[in-house]
Amino acid sequence: MTSAALAQSWRRLGARAPWALAALALIAYAASASPYGLRVLALAGVQVVLVLGYQFIFGHAGALSLAQGAFFGIGAYVTAILGSRYGLGFLATFPLSILAPLALAAAVAAPVLRLASHYFALATLGLAQVALLAAVNGGELTGGALGLTGVPGIVLFGWAVPRGFAFTAVVWLIVAAGAWLSLRLMRGLTGRAYTVLRGDPLAAAAIGLSEQRLRLAAFLLSAGYAGAAGALDAHVLGVVSSETMAFSVMVACLAMTVVGGSTRLAGAFIGALLLTYLPEWLRSLEGYALLAYGAALLLAIVLAPSGIAGAIAGTVAALARPERPILPAPAELAQPQGPSGLPLLVVRGLAKRFGGIEALKGIDFTIDRGEILGVIGPNGSGKTTLANLVSGFVQSDGGTVILAGHNLTPLGASEIARAGIGRSFQQPALPPELSVLEMAALARASLSNDLGFRAALAGRDRGDRRERHEAEAMHFLRILDADAYAHYPCSALPYRSAWRVEIARILALEPKLVILDEPAAGLNEAEQGELARNLRRLARLGLGLLVIEHNMPFLLPVADRVMMLDEGRAIASGKPEDIRRNPAVVSAYLGRRAGLA
Amino acid sequence: MTAFLQLAFNGLALGAAYALVALGFVLVLNATSAVNFAQGDLVMAGGYGAAALAALLPLPGLALLPLVMAAMAALGLAVAALAYFPLMRRPASSVFISTIAVGLLLQNGALHLFGPEPRAAPAVLGGGQMHLGHVVLPYQSLAIVAIAAALVLGQRWLFARTQLGRRMRATAQDREMAAALGIPVRTMIALTFALAAALAGASGALLSNQFFVTPTEGGALILKAYIAVVIGGWGSLEGAVLGALLIGVFETLVAAWFGYTAAGALLYGALLIILLARPQGFYGEAAGRRA
Repeated sequence: MTSAALAQSWRRLGARAPWALAALALIAYAASASPYGLRVLALAGVQVVLVLGYQFIFGHAGALSLAQGAFFGIGAYVTAILGSRYGLGFLATFPLSILAPLALAAAVAAPVLRLASHYFALATLGLAQVALLAAVNGGELTGGALGLTGVPGIVLFGWAVPRGFAFTAVVWLIVAAGAWLSLRLMRGLTGRAYTVLRGDPLAAAAIGLSEQRLRLAAFLLSAGYAGAAGALDAHVLGVVSSETMAFSVMVACLAMTVVGGSTRLAGAFIGALLLTYLPEWLRSLEGYALLAYGAALLLAIVLAPSGIAGAIAGTVAALARPERPILPAPAELAQPQGPSGLPLLVVRGLAKRFGGIEALKGIDFTIDRGEILGVIGPNGSGKTTLANLVSGFVQSDGGTVILAGHNLTPLGASEIARAGIGRSFQQPALPPELSVLEMAALARASLSNDLGFRAALAGRDRGDRRERHEAEAMHFLRILDADAYAHYPCSALPYRSAWRVEIARILALEPKLVILDEPAAGLNEAEQGELARNLRRLARLGLGLLVIEHNMPFLLPVADRVMMLDEGRAIASGKPEDIRRNPAVVSAYLGRRAGLA
Repeated sequence: MTAFLQLAFNGLALGAAYALVALGFVLVLNATSAVNFAQGDLVMAGGYGAAALAALLPLPGLALLPLVMAAMAALGLAVAALAYFPLMRRPASSVFISTIAVGLLLQNGALHLFGPEPRAAPAVLGGGQMHLGHVVLPYQSLAIVAIAAALVLGQRWLFARTQLGRRMRATAQDREMAAALGIPVRTMIALTFALAAALAGASGALLSNQFFVTPTEGGALILKAYIAVVIGGWGSLEGAVLGALLIGVFETLVAAWFGYTAAGALLYGALLIILLARPQGFYGEAAGRRA
């Protein structure tokens, strides 16, 4: 065994030992606990499942959902109604309790998930209120305000699980299964994709990550976990009432998640166990549980925003930062090809209106393979809007965008990024929490569909595949001489080098066309020369480039053709030397007087 | 027709009280870009404050109102110090969560201090009523409308005519620019919290006479304030007041015909439909960064 392998297995042991010890401690406690203690332990397990689910939407996707308590209640009611009224057993009611909130989440997802920040919180709160009203006013079916009693116990294949140790063990086995699934889904690159989404949705789209799909998957999972937790809660307590769906359930879940840590597996356990046992320990202050929850939530959000688990992990990481070994970069990767003969990019009649302002009034142009098109124009002439429309970051009101024979007009930004148009932004859009290499590896993984929950379940977003994506990412960083920054956090990147990383990120998606929005801004002359050499090199590789720039001394020598925009129209187009003398350009850029002179 | 007018008047009085809640909510929203989720619980606290003060000082509601508002303004400063200033440079959702925590503290604090039984504050002027045709106008409802109108106009006057109000507006519009002009931004934000809490307190004192006050009523109130602000245009003060009046009338009318449950369900249903049709809100909030 080599020393590196030894070190790695030691680290793996180090990462697993706390979990094994915690599991042993739990079993030892349960073996000697009173019936009441076992019941509290089972309820704590229920909360762990609820919080594990909430971590998907609130922690990973970063969306403040206030419907988690309602999903929990729906799961509980489904188990209670089907179990006590229709006599269905656990093996039927448990899956249905997961499916019911999941189906509701799927039904409302399309409109609700489009909403930003507090609108999403408000809409999910409205949803929860409607669910609560339905539960209180459901008459016979839900037992009204009093609720339903006589929820049957858990029966597994004819074995009625007795209350006490066995019952609590079944609950905790389900907890373990939930934790295993969460770890499986989030430990690899898919988990990092959520980190990007949370930090900067624009950066996520730029590397081909679909915000809609990631958020939807997280929302559905959180609803499913909540349903499972609700079903278990109904079995533990034997009764279900509107209390099960009250806002206090939601707030308790939120408090547990924030206190424990919203993105780490350990956080769900720490938060749920701590806040379940806190009121038990403070028995002398009976009835003050929610007051304690409020205080804990406020303290945690102010003092430890990544929760107790996050604070511990941060300390450990600061003590020992493991360097992951990186495979050597492969030889040259194949450069993109496409049908020849036609222009690479054909744009026809592209138009955009913002309210009453026509930002673009129908633009036509083409870009050939290996051609650099410069786009100039005064501020507000529509240059950035043009870039946003072609790359799908803003929906156009008319016109078509055809790349290498494929119509990209109806696609969204992340799809277009994977279909062959990469772009940079005036303010670099790089995910602050990731390293440069991780970010570029994510782009590689998104290109080969090795991201998302299906890929994670199949193990395609970690291990060998991840190492290969990292190796290929390194190759693209090397092309731009940015490999020295591979382990820098994107947030710590020097401004003057950001363009190298941005272009490497674009290349990692193997684009056919590259759009750069004012790449030379803030660079000195030597760096501008470096940038220009790299742009020429990309063109020689057969890529088309669209370069928006104000800096004429930089742009005119590097561009093959220049298009001038003014007030949303292309008013001139031609070779750089002709553009320089074009009266319309001179008049728009230098003022009418200079044009006449 | 008389029945309709009667209901419309009752709804107007309810909406006037809601307007104070929504106005406080939107003032904080503009000043901080953050949602103060405890605004509903501050209303509740105002209701209890009025009830508790009445037990100590046998004064009419009108005399208690300034005292309640002053105490609530102090509470607003405390909320800002605990739940806003430490999170000033964090994402707006942190403040949403910290104010949920404040709401939880207020609710359970009230529960322990006053118990779960509903309480009532004294009437503003007295229990009488007057008639306009066949429509009954209780003095309390008239007083709510009058006081709410006075406070809304007072807030407008403060913002439009006074140096302090102009400073608060400047802070809300562009904090950095305001700071560059030498405006004490933190003080202005703290005062905005105080003003918002005072308005919430007034609303609570006015509402709790007719509708009583319970520790958990804040949740429904914050939702209504939120909906009023969405209807009226995110960030618009006038819009929030109009939206709140609309909700009060809507709720009263629907409740009279179909019951309170249906009124609530319809209101939340309407909210979901509004969000569906105008997901960016009525003000087109998602301007996005300059890409």
